[in-house]
Amino acid sequence: MELESNYEIALTADFIRSRNFTRVALQFPDELLKDATRVVKALRDRLESPSESGSGDGKEVGLFVMADTTYGSCCVDEVGASHINADCVVHYGHTCLSPTSNLPAFFVFGKAPISISNCAENLSTYALTQGKHIMVLFGLEYSHAIEMIKEALMLESSKLSGSTSNLEFHFAEVMCSVMNPSKDCTTSNGHLGSVGSFTANEGFGKATGTRYSIGGLAWNLPEGHRMEDYLLVWIGADNSAFANVVLTFNGCDIVRYDAVDNRLVTDLSQQRRILKRRYYLVEKAKDSNIIGLLVGTLGVAGYLHMIRQMKELIAAAGKKAYTLVMGRPNPAKLANFPECDVFIYVSCAQTALLDSKEFLAPVITPFEAMLAFNRGSQWTGAYVMEFRDLISSSPVEVRNQSEEARFSFLQGGYVEDFDLKETEDAEEDEDGALALAYATEKALQVRDKHPNSLIKGTAKSGGEFFAARSYHGLEMHSNDSSPEPYLIGRVGKASGYEGEKGNENF
Amino acid sequence: MDFNRICLPLWVKFTVEELRRIMDYKHNIRNMSVIAHVDHGKSTLTDSLVAAAGIIAQEVAGDVRMTDTRQDEAERGITIKSTGISLYYEMSDESLKNYRGERQGNEYLINLIDSPGHVDFSSEVTAALRITDGALVVVDCVEGVCVQTETVLRQALGERIRPVLTVNKMDRCFLELQVDGEEAYQTFSRVIENANVIMATYEDPLLGDVQVYPEKGTVAFSAGLHGWAFTLTNFAKMYASKFGVDESKMMERLWGENFFDPSTRKWTTKNTGAPNCKRGFVQFCYEPIKQIINTCMNDQKDKLWPMLQKLGVTMKSDEKDLMGKALMKRVMQTWLPASTALLEMMIFHLPSPSTAQKYRVENLYEGPLDDIYATAIRNCDPEGPLMLYVSKMIPASDKGRFFAFGRVFSGKVSTGLKVRIMGPNYVPGEKKDLYVKSVQRTVIWMGKRQETVEDVPCGNTVAMVGLDQFITKNATLTNEKESDAHPIRAMKFSVSPVVRVAVQCKVASDLPKLVEGLKRLAKSDPMVVCSIEESGEHIIAGAGELHLEICLKDLQDDFMGGAEIVKSDPVVSFRETVLEKSCRTVMSKSPNKHNRLYMEARPLEEGLAEAIDDGRVGPRDDPKARSKILSEEFGWDKDLAKKIWCFGPETTGPNMVVDMCKGVQYLNEIKDSVVAGFQWASKEGALAEENMRGICFEVCDVVLHADAIHRGGGQVIPTARRVIYASQLTAKPRLLEPVYLVEIQAPEQALGGIYSVLNQKRGHVFEEMQRPGTPLYNIKAYLPVVESFGFSGTLRAATSGQAFPQCVFDHWDVMSADPLEAGSTAAQLVADIRKRKGLKEQMTPLSEFEDKL
Repeated sequence: MELESNYEIALTADFIRSRNFTRVALQFPDELLKDATRVVKALRDRLESPSESGSGDGKEVGLFVMADTTYGSCCVDEVGASHINADCVVHYGHTCLSPTSNLPAFFVFGKAPISISNCAENLSTYALTQGKHIMVLFGLEYSHAIEMIKEALMLESSKLSGSTSNLEFHFAEVMCSVMNPSKDCTTSNGHLGSVGSFTANEGFGKATGTRYSIGGLAWNLPEGHRMEDYLLVWIGADNSAFANVVLTFNGCDIVRYDAVDNRLVTDLSQQRRILKRRYYLVEKAKDSNIIGLLVGTLGVAGYLHMIRQMKELIAAAGKKAYTLVMGRPNPAKLANFPECDVFIYVSCAQTALLDSKEFLAPVITPFEAMLAFNRGSQWTGAYVMEFRDLISSSPVEVRNQSEEARFSFLQGGYVEDFDLKETEDAEEDEDGALALAYATEKALQVRDKHPNSLIKGTAKSGGEFFAARSYHGLEMHSNDSSPEPYLIGRVGKASGYEGEKGNENF
Repeated sequence: MDFNRICLPLWVKFTVEELRRIMDYKHNIRNMSVIAHVDHGKSTLTDSLVAAAGIIAQEVAGDVRMTDTRQDEAERGITIKSTGISLYYEMSDESLKNYRGERQGNEYLINLIDSPGHVDFSSEVTAALRITDGALVVVDCVEGVCVQTETVLRQALGERIRPVLTVNKMDRCFLELQVDGEEAYQTFSRVIENANVIMATYEDPLLGDVQVYPEKGTVAFSAGLHGWAFTLTNFAKMYASKFGVDESKMMERLWGENFFDPSTRKWTTKNTGAPNCKRGFVQFCYEPIKQIINTCMNDQKDKLWPMLQKLGVTMKSDEKDLMGKALMKRVMQTWLPASTALLEMMIFHLPSPSTAQKYRVENLYEGPLDDIYATAIRNCDPEGPLMLYVSKMIPASDKGRFFAFGRVFSGKVSTGLKVRIMGPNYVPGEKKDLYVKSVQRTVIWMGKRQETVEDVPCGNTVAMVGLDQFITKNATLTNEKESDAHPIRAMKFSVSPVVRVAVQCKVASDLPKLVEGLKRLAKSDPMVVCSIEESGEHIIAGAGELHLEICLKDLQDDFMGGAEIVKSDPVVSFRETVLEKSCRTVMSKSPNKHNRLYMEARPLEEGLAEAIDDGRVGPRDDPKARSKILSEEFGWDKDLAKKIWCFGPETTGPNMVVDMCKGVQYLNEIKDSVVAGFQWASKEGALAEENMRGICFEVCDVVLHADAIHRGGGQVIPTARRVIYASQLTAKPRLLEPVYLVEIQAPEQALGGIYSVLNQKRGHVFEEMQRPGTPLYNIKAYLPVVESFGFSGTLRAATSGQAFPQCVFDHWDVMSADPLEAGSTAAQLVADIRKRKGLKEQMTPLSEFEDKL
């Protein structure tokens, strides 16, 4: 029975039936895959049993299990689902609630165990020591317990209300558990959230204010309040969702309640470190010449728009971009592109932070790329993880910078992005073929400059990089100058060339 | 540092127009720097020269320290930044009658740069030397030639700067030590001898003999504090007629083994032993001065006036009322004015730009020595193409802007001229580090204020407005169209930035201010390096504790508008090396397990790492030349020397990869990937992610997958890195720490304190020498940089302020403790570094890097 409630079998079945879906993809993350067969069985049983709503028309519902998601398992794998022509996706486990572009999705967050009394006690004692309003955010797997924590907190604070402090607990709400594909990439719809904000003493009107949302959570702040005025409490594990919150609200004090250890973690220096490290990566990206654009999602709405925006940004900065699609990046895959000085990873907010010593070149987020490649933009501490928010923000600030050369902190001196002028020149003659000839010529120059040197110059494009390598592929040794007779090669796609065995019947 | 605050406009005797006019007389210009050990009296001596040019009053000369323009310089009594002053000086026909060189009239322009003496600021000296042709070396007559005197002297000679010497603080001999003539002579001659020993090592056919001789007029004796000085020329002139010999003959008699007996009126070359027989110098120079000084100090005015009359010195009536020291000072200044003696020495014995550039062009110009630019520099041709070297940036009064200060070597720079700025990373023919901008204003320095001039011709120093946004520290400027000009060679510094602090702002939102401030700080000092750590911390690196202190103060007060910063404790960077050859050949497999790399690590031969540092061996060398050096000096096999794949980190560092494989298929295909992996690994060693140093990695064997797709960079780069780490860890890895050479001068009673402090700080003394003729001892010791923080304070406390150390980075020293042995000091150190960097405190074990078959 635990399975039933944990996986919200009844709700799922209602969702499927109410919308008359016939082909349903069930997406499991690796750690939940072991339950997949049981979930399918339970769901099928539920779907086949005549429902209480009476609309059991006996139509067969196809259930498909999807596993081993190409990108982060937090996103809805729409491409996988379209392989089986699914009408909708039911997503299990941890999710980033990024909007989908084509398919409706139903999210089952799961129910992680939490000691409600302990949590409430910890929170209220901590709140008493601080003088600030508290905003409670939580991992989605704990959303089932939030109502109970609220009540417990109410109880706890009413006990203390004699000495009353006007402490306020605000809770974020879960935005939705059903998602419809968004045509407009900036808004997400469908609110299935719980009740409004909660205060220990009295509720306040939530009519006006600023609305914040992050990782599927949303909340309102009344007019005149800033996030910095609040103390953030995160209930949940130290995972990417939490890192996302820490980075986005890096101006706030944040503590974490660990539901597994049942304690409050107040030392978050490691998290702060991440931000500084990201700052370093931005500085490093500023010095790069060749940029790899990694496609980290094929589902999150607006990703194409983002990639296009990034390409424009990079071109405007006089650098060279290559778009790479490689599934989830790992060091070995990225090292196949040693010519790239930096990679930009376009993905959902929670998989965006890839930082490992193992990577040959740093991997940064689109927001960081904007900081790095927009001359004149400065690191102010504000941080945006979701690229949807970036799209809406003014794409390119006015380049009002004085014409000062760029100062590189990695080299401790002025470094000009030397391509700036050259691209201008190149645009003048507008002859693509000629530009290619120039590039080749330049590449040849680079190669010939130090024939004996062990040093390679900095390459400005992939072509130059290859020209500067010591190995150029097979060498032609034949002295025979007469041309080889030409042969007709294969025709068709690599998955099946024309004339290949097994393909003849087509 | 407000240069616009004109404080002393009253005594200026010359105008901008006059100054500008002489700038065209390239034979009448002397560009010179004043160099010395700390506290030997450079700035004070400079004052007397400035006074002679009429910028400050003669009376206060010696107390003002005109060239110490910063408040902290005045407070600490040391010079921090080098400061330039242009002086106008008119010689009389009489004094020029012996001048043999070319000249145009009697007016002279002296561009003088006063430089700091503290070793932490030697980079300022380097910058000053580059733009001057001559150097006035100031040596304290009691303390003699010290470590910093030697360092700067060597540097000057390396730049082909002709030196003249002044033995300073003569007043100490007369007032403080009261030594007799013969003893004083011995001291002076030893000082000169010591300086000559250093200079003699720089035999240079083009520069000629650079040693200094009192009898040739290239040594002066001065008392900067009291504003007097003389060369033997002064006295020779006085006595020549009396003895009826010519001046040059007389000069020779006034120095060296020449004795005079007044009773017999005979010159001998040996002391005859007669009671009146005295050395010429003592008899005719030292004793008269001593007599005058003593008479003044004792206020025996009745004796004094006749004596002065005999010397032809007339005093003003109000000066006659002075008493004691003030009287003495005034009398000496009138009799032997410091400026006359020193300026004459400079004009006679230091080269004009047109002379100096003939032989300096080889040192200066990077390009071919027969192109038009080299020729223009050689001839100091004002009509030639502009060649200008910016040696430093000087903060201007409007916040955040800088003057670019430098020397015009050929052509003219003028207001509004469009110039081509070639930065330090510029490579001819490429567009990297190259800008074309126009000069907004050309400015010359006259004391504390600057004057705008229309243009400045070659041979002069100049400051320019409007280029600061394109020059970090130095650059070569030429005319806009001169695209085939090569830059002027970059300066080589004698100190390196080994001490680092991390800074951050107290208020997070001040970060843009900090970034801007660091940018300016990097500009304002030739040596400081502002960079960023992997962890995202901003780092300021300087030559020593004092240097950093000054930098941080400048950063906070001047460049960040007082926004508060937090600094970490000083941090020293270490290096990682190995002691022995790897105990076995280690192997790592690629992620797909289809490729195997076998490697061994071994230490580089002794001295090779240093040779790579100095650029004697490097990646850009001709392979034949490289293999010659390696085989002859370091005992390498000739063939092996040809198999060096690369140097690293940053492609030029003191580590290398050598191919030892035989007959491996596809090896050339993975070379680039192995090199990439090595650059990466040698930058972040396996112990504490510090740079590696002095390690040679030998590729022993390689097994590769037959399919090219399975042996790409993705497979090989991470594997190369792992196998390099594995071979490092199996070759007895050690940490290297930077070590200072410390020189301390102190009296005997302070020695005990010095030794105990050095012992406490893991330092060891390797030389202790008494300075002949003085109660002072000279101690040389090695001191780990880590231990040097607060060293100077502790030392002062332990010796009641009698010992003052000078620390210069000297070498890297192996720390004997084994970092792999748990609990050792090195292991603790590694853990600390890793913690600071935000890494896992535990080192990654060998098993993570090495694979088994």
